[in-house]
Amino acid sequence: MIQIPTLTSARLTLRPPTQADFPALADFYASDRSKFVGGPMTAEQTWRALACEIGHWPLRGYGRWSIDISDTSEFIGIIGLWNPHGWPEPELGWDLMQNATGKGYATEAALAARDYAYTTLGWTTLTSLVKPENTKSAAVATRMGACHDGDFDHERHGLLNIYRHPAPVSVPENLQ
Amino acid sequence: MTIDLANTPILETDRLILRAPKGADWPLWSNFAQSQRAQYIGGPFTPRTAWRAFGHVIGHWAMRGYGLFVFTLKDSDTPLGTVGPWHPADWPETELGWTVWSTAHEGKSLVYEAALATRDFAYSTLGWTTAVSYIDAPNTRSIALAERLGATLDATATVPAVDNAKEVLVYRHPAPEIDSDGGIEAYA
Repeated sequence: MIQIPTLTSARLTLRPPTQADFPALADFYASDRSKFVGGPMTAEQTWRALACEIGHWPLRGYGRWSIDISDTSEFIGIIGLWNPHGWPEPELGWDLMQNATGKGYATEAALAARDYAYTTLGWTTLTSLVKPENTKSAAVATRMGACHDGDFDHERHGLLNIYRHPAPVSVPENLQ
Repeated sequence: MTIDLANTPILETDRLILRAPKGADWPLWSNFAQSQRAQYIGGPFTPRTAWRAFGHVIGHWAMRGYGLFVFTLKDSDTPLGTVGPWHPADWPETELGWTVWSTAHEGKSLVYEAALATRDFAYSTLGWTTAVSYIDAPNTRSIALAERLGATLDATATVPAVDNAKEVLVYRHPAPEIDSDGGIEAYA
């Protein structure tokens, strides 16, 4: 129904979001753990948000993927290039389910998405917006070589720290 | 890079083409969604919420396998409005909805023509056995269209929870006719 590219990394598959991701996302967004990424939300709001993840692709020509663990096809989160109306510039954003943290999945998927932005789309810069209290996401951004580069006050999300990723030419070889 | 919905149906009526929404429709949707004309679909929206709403309109197709069609005149791809099957998670049942994005295309029975085609599509292709239209009580133009389509007020039907704060009427469309072979015949 929509032609979104699929990416793969060592352990993960980044594929188009689908209706099948809704139950897991609804659980996640109903929980307190989603407080750093726009939640908690009702199931109805989550359904609309998931539809908007898909609609983002035709509206911008890029968007976010659902992440599966390749071996098990387990859905563990959403990651990718996010730039809805009102965003300061395109960002690399990730939301990982409860059971998938602490294994390096976010960093691995984010590196694949960043490589897509730089290599396939030809982007020359990229940010990640992180809530100041979200230390785990800040750690992922830092691990990827991104540095705190100003702040952005969003009308719904409040204050967000802007992490700027290294430009394509300066990405260290071990992070390409 | 252009990425649009793929393998979506195209419907044709006497005067119109009905196709899936696409990214290029955004500017005219945005004008409509931020205007008073959007007052009966939860607007007027801010630029931010208008964008998210249109993302949802497009993504609904991938979520459900169908969604609102954009209708255009046959000689132009300019989007004039949306019409068709609509079923977000919080809708009590399947709806036929419609929006007309500018006054220039009102009063010509275009939406009536488009709505008939999408109701036929919902019954014949999607296999729906019933459909409602949720209409804000003050929206007399939409009420007139629903009645012209043969829909009648269903006071027993549930209204979407999001609309609890206002008076919303539920118009139920005539059921598809079952022909002698037991198949569903187009209602038009």
